[in-house]
Amino acid sequence: MSDAPLIRLDDVTKVFVTGAIHYEVLKGISIEVGRGEYIALVGASGSGKSTLLNILGCLDVPTSGHYRLEGEEISAKSDTEMAHIRNRFFGFVFQSFNLLGRYTVAENVALPMVYHGLGRRERLDKAKALLARVGLGDFTSHYPSELSGGMQQRVAIARALANNPAVLFADEPTGNLDSKTGMEIISLFEQLNAEGTTLVVVTHDARVAQHARRVLTLADGHMLTDQKNSAGAEAL
Amino acid sequence: MNPFEHLRIAFDALLANKIRAFLTMLGVIIGVASVIMLVAIGEGAQTYIRKELMGIGTNLLIIVPGKTETSGMGRMPSGIQKITLADLRALEKRATLLNGLSAVVVSNAPVKYQNRMRNVEVIGTDQNFEQVRNLRAEIGSFISKADVDAQRRVVVIGRTVRKELFGEANPLGRTVKIGETKFRVIGIMESKGVTLGMDIDDHVFIPVETAQEIFDQDGLTNILTQAINENAIERAKEQIKTIMIARHAGEEDFTIISQQAMLSTMQTILTTFTYVLAGIASISLLVGGIGIMNIMLVSVRERTREIGLRKAIGASQRDILLQFVIESVTLSVIGGIIGILFGAGVAYGARAAFPALPVDVSAWSVVLAFTFAFFVGAFFGIYPAMKAARLNPIEALRYE
Repeated sequence: MSDAPLIRLDDVTKVFVTGAIHYEVLKGISIEVGRGEYIALVGASGSGKSTLLNILGCLDVPTSGHYRLEGEEISAKSDTEMAHIRNRFFGFVFQSFNLLGRYTVAENVALPMVYHGLGRRERLDKAKALLARVGLGDFTSHYPSELSGGMQQRVAIARALANNPAVLFADEPTGNLDSKTGMEIISLFEQLNAEGTTLVVVTHDARVAQHARRVLTLADGHMLTDQKNSAGAEAL
Repeated sequence: MNPFEHLRIAFDALLANKIRAFLTMLGVIIGVASVIMLVAIGEGAQTYIRKELMGIGTNLLIIVPGKTETSGMGRMPSGIQKITLADLRALEKRATLLNGLSAVVVSNAPVKYQNRMRNVEVIGTDQNFEQVRNLRAEIGSFISKADVDAQRRVVVIGRTVRKELFGEANPLGRTVKIGETKFRVIGIMESKGVTLGMDIDDHVFIPVETAQEIFDQDGLTNILTQAINENAIERAKEQIKTIMIARHAGEEDFTIISQQAMLSTMQTILTTFTYVLAGIASISLLVGGIGIMNIMLVSVRERTREIGLRKAIGASQRDILLQFVIESVTLSVIGGIIGILFGAGVAYGARAAFPALPVDVSAWSVVLAFTFAFFVGAFFGIYPAMKAARLNPIEALRYE
């Protein structure tokens, strides 16, 4: 492993063009994400936090600025290379769980491993182990529609962990859940971070922000604050 | 990524919507089945005509009066100068590339036996007819040279005439009346059935000069002959031409039709016919392809979020493109296979039901239909697949 930080952004901007109107959503963001961190991205709607998450997760590319992954510039990568990076380095959890209804829970979890090139047997074995890790070992052959929202989000988290990612990105993971099941997800994140998974979570949920070790606050496309969270440290 | 995985994804997606998949396939099934069936019928017709034409005698040449421009079938009777027995004698004497010449006079007359009567085509001919025209008297004998020379009143009858006039009785040696003239039955032709729309079984044969006499004709309807072998056909035609033109005051007022020319003309017509049928059937295959494209576009729209998710977890544009193209090709290929089985089943069923038409499912039509189905799936699948591949993952994930 290199000494370079896992992810380093330098003066990243993002401009969306709709017809004649240009929206500058990110106005020069520079951050580093280190291994093992638990970062909460907070801010008002339209502050650019989701866009920043998408850029960090290589789902989107900056308009200008530099993105280095383990010291390597990735701005000029092809679509296939970006897909490869998303597959090997990152896992995603969304507000709406985005599970595929025609596949079983285990098959959903195994999906990223399909694009990793693993055989079916190996995939399903790993998927079952991951489901056990998120507490759903008994539901591998159920279909997503048979599970509660909290369980579905745990399936989505197991899927995000499928290829043993360097970073797990989550965009409002508790947004569609009631407060009790939301808390279960927060505990699960806590547990995963304790086990070494790097987490970057976009959230409105104050409880999520409380549990993170580092809170980045965005406002109007600028980084407003970047503070270590003592509460999160205490929770350790 | 392993292409087998793409195939598995395609199957899963199709199985999730079985009825839709089947209905989409139906367009291809109908298209492919009609290509197979119509080509089988077209080829069957070709085989049938070829067999019929082979049946009228190999290397056959027919000399008919009047000049026609077409080399195949059909003639324009223009009474310029008749073809006569004298022409035949001259050819017999001077042409070296011919193997037997037979004079033919055709007329219609009622044939009567006791109280039964039947209107049939009466053919006046000679002893060479059997060989040149590839027909045999099965019972008794055919007209002999002596019968012709002596203008005997003897008749050889076809199977149908025998059945209609005599029933189960033995006609040999009996006397029938053709018009008002009495003839003795000396033979019965073998059964040939209908060839080229002419029922050989419903004819009677009498000596040529006898026919000229009772029908009061001095010319011949045509002269039948054979080239000595296949390679000599063109030279034999030239020879006939030279001899006949010399006898007809330098006028080429006759036409020589060869069995070969008829065969190739019919072949051309029927091949075109087969292609036209295949073309018409292909249109329905094309319509089936448009159906596939339509459903794939709907499917891409419905699965926008799935596409976004797959991209987020590591599918490249290429993976998504392949997923959807393989899905549409799977639809069209499975449809193609079902269509081939169905079309072949109907074609062989038709053969069992109508043995006269030798319907045959040809390998080329199967290969063509299958290849066409494959490319229809690929062609009509590529646009929806490209739409899917180019989706922006973030927007796709937000799609409601």
